[in-house]
This record gives sequence, structure tokens and C-alpha cells, in this order.
Amino acid sequence: MLGVMPARLFPGVDRVVATFGRLIVSGVLPAHALGTLARLAVGFALGAVVGVVLGLLMGRSRWAEDVLLPLVSVGNPIPGLAYAPLFVIWFGLGNLPAVLLVGFAAAFPVAVNTWTGVRAVKAIWIRAAIAMGARERQIFRKVVLPGALPAVMTGLRLGLARAWRVLVAVEMLTSVPLGLGWLIFGAREFLATDVMLAGIAVIGLVGLGLEKLVFEPLERLTVVRWGMLAR
Amino acid sequence: MRLPRTRTVLGATVAFGSAALAWEAFARSGSLPPAITPPVEAVVAAVARMIGDGTLFVHVGYTLARIAAGMGLAAVVGVPLGMVMGRARPVERFVLPLVSVLSPIPSLAWVPLFILWFGLGNTASIALVFYAALFPLVLNTWTGVCAVNRLWIRAAESMGANRGAVFRHVVLPGALPFVIAGLRQAFARGWIAVVGGEMIAATRWGLGWVIFDSKEFLNTDVMLGSLAVIGLLGLAVERLVFAALERRTVERWGLMRGAAA
Repeated sequence: MLGVMPARLFPGVDRVVATFGRLIVSGVLPAHALGTLARLAVGFALGAVVGVVLGLLMGRSRWAEDVLLPLVSVGNPIPGLAYAPLFVIWFGLGNLPAVLLVGFAAAFPVAVNTWTGVRAVKAIWIRAAIAMGARERQIFRKVVLPGALPAVMTGLRLGLARAWRVLVAVEMLTSVPLGLGWLIFGAREFLATDVMLAGIAVIGLVGLGLEKLVFEPLERLTVVRWGMLAR
Repeated sequence: MRLPRTRTVLGATVAFGSAALAWEAFARSGSLPPAITPPVEAVVAAVARMIGDGTLFVHVGYTLARIAAGMGLAAVVGVPLGMVMGRARPVERFVLPLVSVLSPIPSLAWVPLFILWFGLGNTASIALVFYAALFPLVLNTWTGVCAVNRLWIRAAESMGANRGAVFRHVVLPGALPFVIAGLRQAFARGWIAVVGGEMIAATRWGLGWVIFDSKEFLNTDVMLGSLAVIGLLGLAVERLVFAALERRTVERWGLMRGAAA
């Protein structure tokens, strides 16, 4: 603005807003955002299913816990993005490695939290259910599952946050056809800093929206309503 | 993690042993070229080679220096900012909206822009770590200051402590568990940021850079080896540095029960 910094590199707010409006109207930003969201949905669903199943297994069977826990606890702190180049070699460029990596990164927090949740189910609830003549299946469905749900929700939330972070970065590396990360990365080639900042703004908005519009209502509808969690 | 020790060790051995065996069988089956799926001994050999010629230590050193610089800057800015936010209403009202909008943006989304602004190399990586680490620190410190028991502050005031003393002796130690939790989160995020940033923005050294560079030459053994180093290093810092920090400070002062978590 003051001319100290080159305007090409540091575009004014007016330029960014104008670009933002232009890209929304022309449908470029929505198309990229949809591509990213679709990838996020598929990858996260994959990771969530795998994570919950692993977590339940680990929580219910000691054998599974002994074998899986070390693998999960070592895999958990490795940044998912570090695998990106390997996934590119293994699965090629495009959607497949991006989706798989998102699922892979999301599965760890989900598994760890599900495991914690299952173990945190009060033994007295299970004994009460047994005393009332519940069978193994019923105990699992009516006691363990709802009891573990708050922790599972936390895991899903962490998993989604992680999936989101990894996805934006991996889109830069696997050259997907449409995606916000790719948009930013591609715009750099043309020094289109206004487009880059507009893309970053959309990423922030989507991230905020996921938290406020997806998880908070979901939590209200399930665990808060069942009285498992005070809000 | 309350399993008896031998059981844990046995379980871990079985787990890693069977995982390694499965990988070995898969790698040697020839269904995929060995250049893409290197057997375990090739990965171990690659790590040994990197240790032998000393390059591994340089990479690790660069990565650790970058994350330390970024986190140090973030701590210098973020912790005081969080403290002021917790103590002064107007600052909170001004800063909080900014933080809550910027914090959900993944740090790596900024990489291309940071490259344009700061050029390739150390500055971009350090700036990235700074960005990634700043928000957990600010938010946690702020929460910590807000969560300090009012009663403690009033008790100190009624004993005649002035503002400075209340801050130094009550608010600061009271908020410390949260600050340390913030540091932990900041490290987890910064670790991701530094590896990702190095892949795209680093020029010669760094663990992220090795992985990315090895891809060009299909050195999958080096890639898997570096990946293992990244995982072990992350785990070690978390377990050794932060756990020790917690033991030395907040647990010792009785602000948090140890080993409960």
C-alpha cells in the first residue's frame, strides 16, 4: 500500500477482495472448494471407519491391543505429509494418493480416541447390564458404544482437523485436477498473490465451517442429548 | 498404557516383528518392483549409510534448528500475547477474532506464499513453524490465564500483593500447565509444518527435504528410513523434552497430578 513492499507480492486488501469476488462469480473458487471437500469427505470417511474399527478392536480384545497399540502409537506422531512422496511413488499422481493419505492420517487420532473411549466405559455399567441379562451383543450396542461415543467424537474431530491440514498440503504435491491447495500452488507460478490469498481465505472459512456446522451440531444431537457430556 | 511391562514389550515385539515380516514378504514377492518397495534390510542399510557418512545428523540438525527457531519466536510472541489477552479485556476483544480466523488455516497452505515473500530456504521454513506454533500457544496461554482460580488471586491480593506480585506468583504458575500443553500442541503442529515446509521450501538439508529429494531418484529406502527417523525423533522430543519439562515444573509444584494422564 505504502509502496515499501512490491504490490505484486503484497497485494492490498481491496485487490484480494476483488479477486475473491471475481473468482466466486466465475465459479473457479467454488469448483476448487468442491473438489477439495469431495476428497476430504471420501478420505475422512475411509479413515474414520478404519480408525473406529481398529479402536473398538483394541478396546475390546486384549490380544488386539497388545499387537496394534505399539504400531498405532509409533505411527501417530509421524506427520502424515511425510508419507506424501512415498504415496506418490506407490499410487501415482492425482486423487488416489491424496484420498488415501487423508484417510491414513485421519485414522490414527480416531483409533487412539476410540480405544480410550472404550476403556473408559465404566465397568459398573457393563456389570449392571449383565445383571439385567444383556447378551454380549446387547452390551456392546447399548452400553459400550454410547459410552465410548464422546471420546469417539473427539477422535473424529481431531481426525478431521488433521485430514484437513494434510489434504491442503498434499494437493500441492500430487497435482490433483481441482483443489484449493493446488489452486494456491498453481497461482504461485504466475505470481498471482491475490489469488493465493483468496484461496487461503476460503481454506480458513471452510475449516471454520467444518467445525461450527458439522461437529458442533453433531455433538449436540448425540452425546449432549444423551446426557453423556455437559454443554 | 497400564499394561504390565513384559506384556507390553512382548506385544510390541510381536507387532513390529509381524509388520516387518509382512512387509518383507510383500517386498520380496515381486508383485511390485523392489525399487518401490524396498525390503527391511535395505531401509536399515540406508539409515546406517546416512549415519555412517554423517549426513543424517546434518539433516536432523537443520530440521531441529528450524523448529527450535520457529517455536522460540512463537513462544516469545505467543505466550506474552496470550497473557495480555487473559488480563486485559480490550486486547482480548481485538486479538481473539483474528486468532480464531487465522488458526484453522493449515500452515502449509501458506507455503507457496511464504516462498514468494521470504524466498526458498531457512526463513520460509522458520516462518512456517512460527505460524503453526503461534496459535496453539496463544490460545492455550489465554485459556490458562482465564482459568486461574479467582480465589487464589483474591487471596494474594488480600495478603497485600501488588499487581506485579499477583502476576508473577499466582497467574504465571497457575497458567503454566496450559502453557506447557500449548507448547506440546505447538510442537506437534510445528513438526508437521517443518517437514512439509522443508519438502517444498528447503534447499539442501532437512529431513523433509531428504524425503522429497529421494523421490526424484526413487530412493525409497532412504525415504522410508528418513520417515522412521522423523517418527522416532517426534516421539522422543514429546516423551523426553515435554514430559521432563512437565515433571520439573508443574508436577513438582503440585499444580497437576503426575502420571494421571
